[in-house]
Amino acid sequence: MEVQKEAQRIMTLSVWKMYHSRMQRGGLRLHRSLQLSLVMRSARELYLSAKVEAHEPEVPLSPVRSPDPRLHQSRESEAVAEAAPPDGEQPSPEPMDTREAPRAEETPARCAPRPTTKVSRKRRNSSLSDGGDVGLAPSKKARLEEEQEEGASSEVPDRLQPPPAQAEGAFPNLARVLQRRFSGLLNCSPAAPPTAPPACEAKPACRPADNMLNVLVRAVVAF
Amino acid sequence: MAGAGGGGCPAGGNDLQWCFSQVKGAVDEDVAEADIISTVEFNYSGDLLATGDKGGRVVIFQREQENKSRPHSRGEYNVYSTFQSHEPEFDYLKSLEIEEKINKIRWLPQQNAAHFLLSTNDKTIKLWKISERDKRAEGYNLKDEDGRLRDPFRITALRVPKLKPMDLMVEASPRRIFANAHTYHINSISVNSDHETYLSADDLRINLWHLEITDRSFNIVDIKPVNMEELTEVITAAEFHPHQCNVFVYSSSKGTVRLCDMRSSALCDRHSKFFEEPEDPSSRSFFSEIISSISDVKFSHSGRYMMTRDYLSVKVWDLNMESRPVETHQVHEYLRSKLCSLYENDCIFDKFECCWSGSDSAIMTGSYNNFFRMFDRNTRRDVTLEASRENSKPRASLKPRKVCTGGKRKKDEISVDSLDFNKKILHTAWHPAENIIAVAATNNLYIFQDKVN
Repeated sequence: MEVQKEAQRIMTLSVWKMYHSRMQRGGLRLHRSLQLSLVMRSARELYLSAKVEAHEPEVPLSPVRSPDPRLHQSRESEAVAEAAPPDGEQPSPEPMDTREAPRAEETPARCAPRPTTKVSRKRRNSSLSDGGDVGLAPSKKARLEEEQEEGASSEVPDRLQPPPAQAEGAFPNLARVLQRRFSGLLNCSPAAPPTAPPACEAKPACRPADNMLNVLVRAVVAF
Repeated sequence: MAGAGGGGCPAGGNDLQWCFSQVKGAVDEDVAEADIISTVEFNYSGDLLATGDKGGRVVIFQREQENKSRPHSRGEYNVYSTFQSHEPEFDYLKSLEIEEKINKIRWLPQQNAAHFLLSTNDKTIKLWKISERDKRAEGYNLKDEDGRLRDPFRITALRVPKLKPMDLMVEASPRRIFANAHTYHINSISVNSDHETYLSADDLRINLWHLEITDRSFNIVDIKPVNMEELTEVITAAEFHPHQCNVFVYSSSKGTVRLCDMRSSALCDRHSKFFEEPEDPSSRSFFSEIISSISDVKFSHSGRYMMTRDYLSVKVWDLNMESRPVETHQVHEYLRSKLCSLYENDCIFDKFECCWSGSDSAIMTGSYNNFFRMFDRNTRRDVTLEASRENSKPRASLKPRKVCTGGKRKKDEISVDSLDFNKKILHTAWHPAENIIAVAATNNLYIFQDKVN
């Protein structure tokens, strides 16, 4: 149980870091992304094997699940590394999509509900998030942190604990509102996935700009 | 630890007594990000010392001539030239900001009165010429003293311009700009011993350049998989052999080093030597891949050995033995139990560099809490020293520090939990011929030297 929790915590942390390294000045670093994905993979393996030991019934599901986070990773690397967007269906980086998990269409097909209810209950217990997916929790927190200016990454663990509740309350709604308002202003159709990456990458450039702009950028990033 | 490395021979490491010489940089507690030193490098003679910082600046220090009236101050280093090497840029095609941070500086061997160096940020390498000027031409025919063109009708006589002495001026001018050859972030540059070419390495590729030619480079290593989802390793550092111009090595995030011979083929995708130590399965953890990643690789001056630095240790390899290193030195083994918190606070991604003493008899590398470590290869002794402003009186000896690893903490020991992980020494340099070291601690540059007998 302990091992499982620890593995879960490290997985969450890794996703959080992956998401955040997109915001890094100078762009996403391939070496760091690779390392994060490796940590995440070993944490996931451990998590799954711990689950097997605990006689979970849904063992056969694990291989199906396994490729997912790795895909997130390599997609991210590619997006920045100018490589062509890989095989269609879901071109926009996933940490962002998962944030909208309750509404997004693709999530049901992907990681979120795949772990059985039991898994999500465990996550709730671990006080990391009350959402269903690993990806859900960190991305919300990441957004909150942005609000406080891009914080030093060393403060990650401290901030990781308290904020999820408020973050959840304030942001998705605001984002939705803003999105409705501004989707018309964007030249790309808001439904089109390409909206996300440019907004995200524009972020560093907007750093010195005022708060309103930041809020806008965040709202756009959310979509 | 006491006792001098007598006999006049430059012994290495801890057998000599190190003493404080100088510290450069502001004393301020709050450090501007731009002032953080990101690379340190002596030139071939050791008379010049260059630092690069996150703000894109290069500062060059020059060693003063020995002063007979102050016999104890053996050649101090003073600022010689400061210039802005790189500016922040924006890649409009990729919508990405390019940082101005200087990732590496490499000096070229000196060939005339001027000095040349290469500096690089994530994408662009620049060749700078640093030259002195103490004379100025006066009495041109077509322009007056202010540089304005003279009215041609007023020129009635021709004169020969004369060189007049003036105050010494040090000029840094960009001579070549090598751009647009790297898709990923450049982590290394290395000048070849043929003095004509150099290599630059990013996460997936290594390019070979001619120092005079900026519009083309040759790709000599490319490890980019066709499908990026199959990516399992990246290049972390690369360096040319100090004497054999056809040989270079590159290290990987998997903890291995490949030695390539450019004579065997134009594209060195196939290595000629592969240095790898089998992993100890008992020490596996979530973070094994991260801590085994090599952050720096350096050939010894002799060219016989190379040294690799991973997160917890530094290893010396004999180029003739690929199966295991000839020496493994633990830098801060006490951190092994703290890897999880180091992952949380991102320290585990720190890239420590390492360097050889001039005689190859000792090696040095950094750690946390402004500690740095030296390993004497002959006596197998090691020492932990601290770069700190306390006790930074001229010629004050550096007291060896000790980190308490479990058990009862003795006097003068510091416990692992009280180490300051924000104070890290990533970059150090050793004078090529003397026992003078430069240690970059955040925004300060410390210079230490051995005690004069």
